[in-house]
Formats: sequence, structure tokens, C-alpha cells
Amino acid sequence: MKKKLFLAGMSALLSLSLIACQSKNETSSGGETSEKKQTLEVAALESAYGKDMWTKIVDAYREVNPDVEIKLTADKNLEDVISPNMKAGNYPDVVLLATGRKMALTETLIKDKALEDLTDVLDKKVYGEEVPVKDKLVPGFTDTLATNPYNDGKTYMAPMFYSPTGLFYNAALFKEKGWEVPKTWDEMWALGDKAKAEGISLFTYPTTGYFDAFFYSLLLEAGGPEFYNKAMKYEDGIWKTPEAAKAFDIVGKLAKYTAPTTVANANDKDYTKNQQLILDNKALFMPNGTWVVGEMKDAPRAKNFEWGMTSLPALESGGDRYAFTFFEQMWIPAQAKNKDAAKDFLTFVYSDKAADIFAQSGAVQPIKGMSDKLSGENKLFYSIYDNGAKAGMGGFAATEAVEGVSMADTLFHTIDSIVTGDKTVKQWQDAVEKASDKLRAALK
Amino acid sequence: MNNQKAASAEKIYRIFIYVALVTLAISIIVPVGWVFLASIKQNKEFYGSPWSVPEGFYFQNFIDAFQKANMGTYMLNSVMVTALALLILLVVALPAAYVLARYTFRGSKFMNSLFKAGLFINVNYIVVPIFLMLLDGDNFFRTQLGDGFLLDNLFVLAVVYAATALPFTIYLLSSYFQSLPTTYEEAALVDGAGYFKTMISIMIPMARPSIIAVILFNFLAFWNEYIIALTLIPGPNKTLPVGLMNLMAAQKSAANYGQMYAGMVLVMLPTLILYMIVQKKLTQGMTLGGLKD
Amino acid sequence: MSKTAAKRMFIFVCTVPSLILLTLFMIVPTIQVFRMSMYKWGGFSNNKEFVGFNNFKILWNDENFIRSLQNSIVLIVLVTIITMVVAILFASLLTRENMKGNSFFRIIFYIPNILSIVVIAGIFSAVYDPTTGLLNNILSLFHLDHLQKMWLGNQQIAIYSIGGALIWQAIGYYMVMYMSSMASIPESFYEASSLEGAGRIRQFFSITLPLIWHNIRTTLTFFIISTINLSFLLVQAMTGGGPDGATEVFLSYMYKQAYTNSSYGYGMAIGVVIFLFSFILSAVISQVTKRDVLEY
Repeated sequence: MKKKLFLAGMSALLSLSLIACQSKNETSSGGETSEKKQTLEVAALESAYGKDMWTKIVDAYREVNPDVEIKLTADKNLEDVISPNMKAGNYPDVVLLATGRKMALTETLIKDKALEDLTDVLDKKVYGEEVPVKDKLVPGFTDTLATNPYNDGKTYMAPMFYSPTGLFYNAALFKEKGWEVPKTWDEMWALGDKAKAEGISLFTYPTTGYFDAFFYSLLLEAGGPEFYNKAMKYEDGIWKTPEAAKAFDIVGKLAKYTAPTTVANANDKDYTKNQQLILDNKALFMPNGTWVVGEMKDAPRAKNFEWGMTSLPALESGGDRYAFTFFEQMWIPAQAKNKDAAKDFLTFVYSDKAADIFAQSGAVQPIKGMSDKLSGENKLFYSIYDNGAKAGMGGFAATEAVEGVSMADTLFHTIDSIVTGDKTVKQWQDAVEKASDKLRAALK
Repeated sequence: MNNQKAASAEKIYRIFIYVALVTLAISIIVPVGWVFLASIKQNKEFYGSPWSVPEGFYFQNFIDAFQKANMGTYMLNSVMVTALALLILLVVALPAAYVLARYTFRGSKFMNSLFKAGLFINVNYIVVPIFLMLLDGDNFFRTQLGDGFLLDNLFVLAVVYAATALPFTIYLLSSYFQSLPTTYEEAALVDGAGYFKTMISIMIPMARPSIIAVILFNFLAFWNEYIIALTLIPGPNKTLPVGLMNLMAAQKSAANYGQMYAGMVLVMLPTLILYMIVQKKLTQGMTLGGLKD
Repeated sequence: MSKTAAKRMFIFVCTVPSLILLTLFMIVPTIQVFRMSMYKWGGFSNNKEFVGFNNFKILWNDENFIRSLQNSIVLIVLVTIITMVVAILFASLLTRENMKGNSFFRIIFYIPNILSIVVIAGIFSAVYDPTTGLLNNILSLFHLDHLQKMWLGNQQIAIYSIGGALIWQAIGYYMVMYMSSMASIPESFYEASSLEGAGRIRQFFSITLPLIWHNIRTTLTFFIISTINLSFLLVQAMTGGGPDGATEVFLSYMYKQAYTNSSYGYGMAIGVVIFLFSFILSAVISQVTKRDVLEY
């Protein structure tokens, strides 16, 4: 009797799994009719630009290349969706996912040397057009550590949607008060005192993560590109130099002008409250990127509010001013199964057709002439480089993973402690140099 | 005179208790009510003070959550997985807990410590090994049967849920069984009832309060779980909490707060209703069991 | 079938399914975790390098890990003590006293526990907000402005703010647990002691507390496990470990290392430490609180 029950249970289990088995079989046999078609798996981060543009791109590619069927995965939490399968060896063929994300999946693959060399893609002709990819790209975009992480002249990541970053402010407020947007840091501090008298803080930041572009620009202003590249390659003692000290000191001073509620809200959950300070005229400047306009589109704002963006003030009058260029990268995993088809697709995203689709959603690629086609606020933002600001690009060089050491944590997260006074600028500087020492040993 | 004093002391005591109870109750009702209110706010209302009263009843959030965010399907999946996992869990855990509480046999001590050690294993670090194991299984079945069925399978997800809840459940149930008197089952065994019969018709009904507690606690755990579900179900058959994750604010893109809070309300309503139904039984159980003397 | 054979059969059938499930989905994966903690591995590539106990050595000198350890211990101690006292108190009130609105309170008190952690994070970021938050506004209502704080911005306070949210959500859970065990105490015990003239407080300490002692010990273990787990989920949803690591806990640091810092092996070493820590802590507490099991 009992045995029977047990057996019945077992067979119930088995039949359940059989059902699961069958239903799977059916779907796979259904797909066999289109056997000739090659399936290309494309995974893209669904960011501020939305998901629609990606489905449109897939449709457009089907038109020009009917032999390839694209399986698209677009998700806000792309890392969570694709990384379990990647651990198991099932890699997507093409991935659009930038460095500098919280989960740092792209950085992990760089550290593992698990990206496909894309240098030959640059020489290939854009799919359906007669121009090679590199001739369409704005010069300079494939020369930095952001695309050539090993600094060996080989490109592993293709530059996709870019946006200038800088300090965002309410242009209407400046007009109303008759204030000038500061051109040097000295003017900045003077403005800070003026604003303080009116109960407005000079500065706020969404989260410390937003300091990446900000601090990189500051380093570029303080020491120029050569110095910057040395810092990015963890050169010994670089963080102790007078140039680096200038950058640390400016942030240290800025910390004193930071809106008091900033740190309490500087996390992934509440960061919009800090951005709201700008809209409410409670703070003057925040480091941010062009996406912030869309991000805050529903938020209430001060009367006549008008977005403005400026590059970082210069260290002294007449000095260089920088606006860092943030861009998302597209890459092919070294373990992708259809690399050739993936490379074809990668050239296609630079075609005029694709660029138009992306641009309709506000996603701008570094393609020559693209910035002329922009309108509205975007036109203003992307013209920042026409107004004398220099573009900075590229982040830290790739290293092997060092357990317990993270440059992003040490260099940026510590700023919260500087603002609250829990750590001094000196302690911060020392910690960065120490982290730099450890990472240098692990350089690829 | 003395009586009066006692009565007034009693009164003060009662007032004190009520103040304590009501304070705690308010500290819960206000924030939870806030979630319900938030779910009917329009998106632009989320940027001001979080405590502002909704401008109107914006029911569209719920419609969007169901239609655009696919919450209806996710809910059905969640109901299936949770129910199945609870069923498997009870069928497997009840007999084991009973035996471990009542019998000593070779290896019983080892088994007890094994389950106890299992309590300390945290799903957050074993989820990837489980995933890799199921994947290996799938690859094996693919070569043998032509297809794998372990991943993306809600039934397997339910089994994993049940397995990860075993140590907690067995621990709770067996400590309850231990506290029950042995007289009843001894009598039943003397009367000639078999082991299975004694367990099913006498001991399990007596354990009802703790079974209800187990159901309640595990229902919550399964219903709100997302790390395992996210990893083991890469396909579109998502569960409710995983679906909710997609509604969450992601940096650098406009968040849809209204839909998110509507989704949160959808997630918490079933558990609220379940608790209202069973909470009375939690404390009734024992007096009904005839143990009053 | 002979009696012993029947008994053996009974024991076998009852225990084997649970053993199979446990082994397959918990023990084997845990062994894998222990194994991975000996490797240097980024998590994706095929080059796993065996490094022995090196990951644990690094851990020993990792200040950030020590900080997450301290934070976790603070939370475990704080949440356990406060939640337990309040939960036992309210459980005994709700089972012993014939209060009006008894079942109303029972329902209300349990609600925080059924909320998903995301909802709780939403609630508490609205409570702790520096300007529009409930807490600071209540304080200013009572003219206690000097007590207003940046609840999540001040590094000395942030971890306690997380603790507050954890306690808020845990009280109902443990209350139900204590209530179900208090309900099994026969009414006659109280009647007898009441005839002897024992007051409420005496009854509580001489009857209620000893008789649910076993249950309290059980919950101590649950406190350790669930605080470690829930503090992680809450920190992920609320502060992400910030400001500057002030609310980093065990599991959030493990996640950071295993995934964000591409040190999967190192992360698993942290996992091993968490497992051993909670196991040993609970064993010690269990030894210390050992009393004879009272039966009635």
C-alpha cells in the first residue's frame, strides 16, 4: 500500500517532467523549418533611450540581411539576465553594455581578456554601404582606453551612444539673478559665497558614481592628457604629484559648498532627490550627463526652468576646460558562436539607416555629421565642444582583478566621507595612491 | 478600598497597554497606507514630498502594471510556484520532522545536525552552483533525450524552493513535535495502528498550529523570493518579484514610480489576505486538540 | 513484516526524500562554494587558478571586510535584543490579555513582515528623508529640532537606521512565532498560579517564559540567519552600502567582490566565512542558553 503510494508519487513526478520535456520539444521542432537562417543573439541594455529603437534596428537589419534572424534581449537589468548563461558558456553574440556600470560586467570580461578583437571591424565596410566603418567615425573615439583597454592599439569595444557630461544648472536662475556661469574655479568659489547668502548651495551630486567624468576632467585640466594617461595606468606616485593634489583639493573645497542633504540621498534609490535640488533652485550645479533631461522629465520644477550645461571651470583663467565624453560600448564576447555574423551586424549599426533610428530616440553615435542633425536641448548639449571645451575620454586601464581593491570605490565613494567630514582630503589621497600601487602590480 | 485600588491599577495598566499597542499599530498603518496611496499617484507626484496626498485616484497604474508590465502572467506563475513548493515541502518535511523528533536510529543524530547546519547556508551564495548543476543536467539530458528541461522550468524552481526551505521547516516542526506529549501515539501504537497511520491521523493533526506557521512563513519566503527565480528562469516565465524588478527605477532612465508601487501592492495583497484568513487558527489549534487538561 | 522491519521501513520512507533534496540542492552546492573559495576566478573565463587559502589571507587584512563584519555584528545584536523583547511582550499581551481589538492588532503587527523588502526600502526612504521625511518632521512637531539627523547620510547613524527598519519588519514575525508557542501552554497552569495569588508579572516569568524557552532558543538562531540575509536585501535596496561603506554588511560585500570586483573566488571565501561565523555563533549561543526542556 505504502509502496504503491510512493510509486504513484514518483510517476507523478516523472510525468510532470515529461510534460515539461514535451513542451520544449515542440517549440524546438517548430524552429527547425527555418534551419538555414542563422540566429544571432543580440543583448542590449535598455537605458534612457528605451527599448523601441532596438526592435526597430532588428527589423531594419532583417530587411537588409534576411539570412540572419536576430534574437534580441533588451533589459534594464541586462547583467542579471545574461550573466548566469554566460557563466555556463552561453554567450550572446553582440552586447551593448557600457563600462562604469554598477555590476561591472564589461570590466569583468576585460579583466578576463574575454572580448573579441574588433580592430578589423573598423576597416570593414558598413553593411549595405560602401564606406569603411572607421571613415564614418568621429576621429579620436577609438584611440582611448575606453575602446582599447589594454593600450596595445587594438580595439576591443566599439564606441556607441555618446553624450557629453558636465555641470548642469538652471540657466533661467542665472539670468534672473544676473549671475555669470563661472569660467574658472576662483569665480566658482565667489559664486558659491554669493549663492550661500541667498540660501542656495553651490553644488550637489546624484551619487558619488557621477564623479567619474567629473574627476577625470579635473585631472585633465590639472595635468593635461599625458598626465591623465599616466594616472589611468597607475603610474607610481602619480597621485602624490602637485597636479593630482590640485584636483583633490578642488573636490575638498567643493565638499564644503555641497548641499547638506546630498549625502543622505546619494544612493541608487534616492539620487533623484539630489537632482531635484537643481530643479527647485536649491543647488546651482551638479555633475551629470545629457540623459538627466529625460530622466527628470516628469519632475516639477521652478518657474521658467531651463536646462543649461557647462564644461568644468578652468584652473586659472585661460586654462583648458574639459567636458568628459561618456559613451556606451558595443562588444563581441570572445566565446560568441557567430563572430562573423556578429561583426557584420556591428558594422550595420553605423549605417545611416541605423543611425537615424537611434537618433530618433535621442541616442547619438559618434558618426561624422550626426551632431548637426540634432535639435532642441540636445543641440545645445552636443555643441559644448564647439564652444571651446575639450573632450576627455577613456577610463582606467584594465588590470587583473585584485581582491578587495577597487579604484572606483576608493576614488569616488570616499567623496561622501569628505563631504560629511569623516575623512580628510589627505587620507583620501593616500588611500588612492595605495590602491593605485596594488592595481599597478596587476596591470595587464 | 483595597479592591478599588487594584481596580484603578488595573485601569492604568490597561491604558498603558493600549497606548503601547496603538502606537505600534500606527507606526505600521501609516507607512503601509502610504504604499497604497502611492500606488494611485501619477508619476509626477513622486518628485515632491513623499507624504503629499494623491491628487486623484489614478487607477491607470494598475491597468498599466497588468497590461504593459505583464503582471497578470507573472502573478499566475508566482501562485503556481508557491503552491507547488508548499505542497512538496509539507509532503517531504512533515514525515522527516516527525521521525527526527521521535525516533533515534543509526544516523539520526547525524541527520539532525545536517539539517541544523543547513540552516546556515544562505541561498545568496549557493544559487550560482545550483544553476551550474542544473545546467550540467540539462546538457546531459540534451545528449541523452535531445532536450533539457531543468532550467526555465517552474516545477524545478518549486522543488529548489522546497529544498532550500527544508532545514528551517524541519527544525521548526520537529521542535514542535518534541514538545508534544507521547501518550497519544503510544496509545495508538498499542491499539495496533501502524506507524504511518499514527503519524498521519494523530500526530500531524496535533501539529496543526505549527504547520500553519510553517505554511505562513514559507509562503512569504517563496512569494517574495527573487534571486533564485531570476537565475533559474532566464526565459519569459518570470515570477512576480522578478517582474517587479523590471519596473524599478534604473539609473539614467525615467522611472515609472506609479506602476512600480501598483506592482508592489499587487505583490503584497495575497499575503495580506492569506494571513487574515489563517491568523485565528494559529492560536486556536491547541485548545481544539483536546489538550486543555 | 516484522515490527522492527516495519519501523525501519517507516523511518526510511520518511527521511529519504528530504535527505535527497537537501543533499542535491544545498549540500552539494555548498561544497562547490567551499571549493571555489580556494580559487582565483573572475566568474566567466575558463582560467581558474588554485590559490589554496590565499583568499582567506587577503580577507584577514581587508579593512572593508572587517567593517562589514562589524556592521553585521552590530545589526545582529541590536535587532535580536530589541525585536525579541518587544515581540515577547506583545505576544504575551495578545495571548494572555483579553483585549478589545485583539485580532485587529494581530493582523496589523504582522503586516510589515509580509511586505517585500523593496516596499520596506520605499517606506523607509520616505521616513528617513532629511527634509520631507516623517521622522524629522515629527521631531520638529515636538520642537525637538536638535534631534533631527541625516538618518542615512551620517556615517555614525546610518547603520542604526538600517537596524530600525529591520526591527520594524521583524517584530510581527517573531510575535507570531512566540504566540503560537504560548498558545500551547495549558490554561490550567495560569488558573492554578492565579489561585496562589501570582500576578501577571510573576506568571510571565514563572510560567510563560520557561515554557517557551525552547522556542526562544530556536528563534535566536533564526535571528542570526535572517538578520544576515535581510540586512543584505535592505542595504541593496536602500543605501547600496553607502555612504562610503558605512552600511556595508557581510553579504553585500560578498556580492560586491564576487560580481562587481570580478573576484568570484574571493566572494565565495567571504561566503564560507559567513557560513562558519553564523554556524559557530549560533552554536555558542545555543550552548549558553541551554536549559532542560520543560514539558507539560
